[in-house]
Amino acid sequence: MSLSEVKENKSAVIASINGDTRFLSRITSIGLTPGCRVNVIKNDKNRPVLVYSRDTMIALNRKECEGIMVEEVTA
Amino acid sequence: MSSCATIALLGQPNSGKSTLFNALTGMRQHVGNWPGKTVEKKEGSFVHGGKEYKVADLPGSYSLSANSDEEVITRDFIASGAADVVCILADSSQLQRSLFMLADYAGIDAPCFLLLNMSDVAADQGKIIDAKEIEKKLGIPVIPFSATDVKSYDIFYNTLEKAVENGTKLDLSKLSKQYESIQGYREVFNLIPEGVLPGYSSMWLAVKVLEDDKVVCAKLKNAVDADTYKKIEEAKKNAKGAVATGGCKFAWIDEVLDDAVKAKKTSVSLSKLDRIYTHKVWGKTAVILTVLLGLIASFIPALPLMGVGSAVLALKAPITSALYSIGCPEFIILIIGDVVIQSFSYIFKMLGFVFGVTLVFGLLEEVGVMARISYVFDNTMGKLGLQGKSVMPFLVSFGCTMGGAAGARVIDNWGQKVLTIALAWAVPCGAAWATIPMLSSIFFGPGAVGVVAAILLTMLAHMWITAKVFGARLVKKEDRFGMIMELPPYHKPKWGALFRYVMGRTKETFFRVTKVILLVCGIFWLLSYSPNGNDGVLVKIGLAIEPVTKVFGMPWQLFLSYVASAVGKEGAIGVISALYNGGAFGTAFTEAMNGAGAATNLNEILLSNVTKPEALAFIFAMTFNMPCVVALAATYQETHSAKWTAKIVAYYTVVSLILAFIAYHIGMLIW
Repeated sequence: MSLSEVKENKSAVIASINGDTRFLSRITSIGLTPGCRVNVIKNDKNRPVLVYSRDTMIALNRKECEGIMVEEVTA
Repeated sequence: MSSCATIALLGQPNSGKSTLFNALTGMRQHVGNWPGKTVEKKEGSFVHGGKEYKVADLPGSYSLSANSDEEVITRDFIASGAADVVCILADSSQLQRSLFMLADYAGIDAPCFLLLNMSDVAADQGKIIDAKEIEKKLGIPVIPFSATDVKSYDIFYNTLEKAVENGTKLDLSKLSKQYESIQGYREVFNLIPEGVLPGYSSMWLAVKVLEDDKVVCAKLKNAVDADTYKKIEEAKKNAKGAVATGGCKFAWIDEVLDDAVKAKKTSVSLSKLDRIYTHKVWGKTAVILTVLLGLIASFIPALPLMGVGSAVLALKAPITSALYSIGCPEFIILIIGDVVIQSFSYIFKMLGFVFGVTLVFGLLEEVGVMARISYVFDNTMGKLGLQGKSVMPFLVSFGCTMGGAAGARVIDNWGQKVLTIALAWAVPCGAAWATIPMLSSIFFGPGAVGVVAAILLTMLAHMWITAKVFGARLVKKEDRFGMIMELPPYHKPKWGALFRYVMGRTKETFFRVTKVILLVCGIFWLLSYSPNGNDGVLVKIGLAIEPVTKVFGMPWQLFLSYVASAVGKEGAIGVISALYNGGAFGTAFTEAMNGAGAATNLNEILLSNVTKPEALAFIFAMTFNMPCVVALAATYQETHSAKWTAKIVAYYTVVSLILAFIAYHIGMLIW
């Protein structure tokens, strides 16, 4: 599933990231890489998705999130 | 001064880089542009231990990729050897993530040391960081730092001196081992001779090739023979790009931090304030209220300087009479009174506002509120090609366009900043809002509400169209990407550094805008000057081209008032009332700008001389004209570009006339 589909207050682990060169470099430079755990803090329509990862609250444009594939963690 | 060294500051957004820069340099700083680029160059200097240090605040965001001009400028600057030492900043409270900049830097050949900023915040969170351990692994000095702690600066200066003296460089062995694990890395690395691009190691270049870095690839193509480059291209084909190299960088960071950081597991949740800001219904309201409160608050620090502005004006009468008494020629007296003193009165009032707005906006930025504003308005402003923050200058422009232009400095991308200012000009300012309802109610009675609504709708359409007109040139398509941004934790402001920054910007604004304002006011005064009372160049031109201006719905009196409104909207009504009463143009303008009320018989004069369609045309022309000379000066100050300032002025003049034309002809159909 894509990161934008993860419900609020759920955790997920990034499986893969797809997109153009610019997107890949920007998303890794803010700390989101495969294997990295993210908590979805806020996921409202028409707003960027808020995730918490590597001690950081990160706002991600909803459309760009579609390139981030994750696996939800239940625990 | 015995000698001089250059120190470059490198760090991700929110790493405290600007705060450190301001704390080090204070008033001794200068903002310009990088040669031939539309990127701001912040430089400053300080003296320590009898030695002068130049400080360069390097632009950019989270990495040293080829994504933006800023990042390319930064890495080229470092690689060129222009800096004797690079001070890399990381945020101790988010150490792992914020060390990415160090990892991306590793391989550029320049001495450096690492500053673990916000060590106080990390300590509050229960994180224990062993800087000595990190230092051992990296091979460069590593110091914990807190901008609020005076002792921190002593350690900083000592480390700086040592780093400059010893030229300490990063140990790259562990990192290059990480890269070895990437498919294709070895092949590319072997194809790039060491030293082929001065300042960059083969390791660094190979990684950038794998990341498909266009700038590095183009440089390599020129530097190596065609056959080798072909092989490089071939080898990078199967590479997994920035995802793979990014993974290596973080693996290396983990290795460095292993045993060096002890942290408690903490659960995260949004603070109360953030729950309001990120609320899907109330978020926008909360942001707008915050900005409005900030705007009101900015008047408090502005008041003293604005008072100086009024005091300067009060000097006009005594100085003028003193000059008369010593027999000074009238022309000179008028220039001193109506141009010089008048201009300095504007300038001081403007400085007051610049001071207030810079302080409050700088404060919002520093405590972290600005990032929330960006988040909430990202979607809306993104449609115009702007960042969410751009909403702030727009809101401020309802009060004062100059404040909006000054506030646009929080936008870190030059193109987006210019576009924001260009759009902010379309927002009618406080002086326009005083004039619009007054004129409308004289002519249209209760219909005034309709006029105000029409103005607001026109404003939105204007902004949308202007974004299309200028957007393509200012914000390139590939620069229009969605938000990937950190919402930093709220920080306590560093008042000292903030004040020094604000003082510095105010001082710089003073020197830059003074000439613009003196020049424009001088020209306007000369053109309106009439020795025998009632003509002058502008009046003559106005009369001569009246057949043309009437097409736009403006008889010469209204047209001249429209011209005056470009210098100051407050003057528009005074000019109208003087011209229809047979008064002098220039004098009426000056008096109106100084707060003189309109003639008591204004209603009758207007109703008997001006038709409804003409009034409507004038309202639109005046509202969407260039806001005022002070806004013009602020625009020049913030964009650093006379060319773009002139473009915006020309564009607004044309558009306001077109709007007047449309309003006039619609009016003719109605009445």
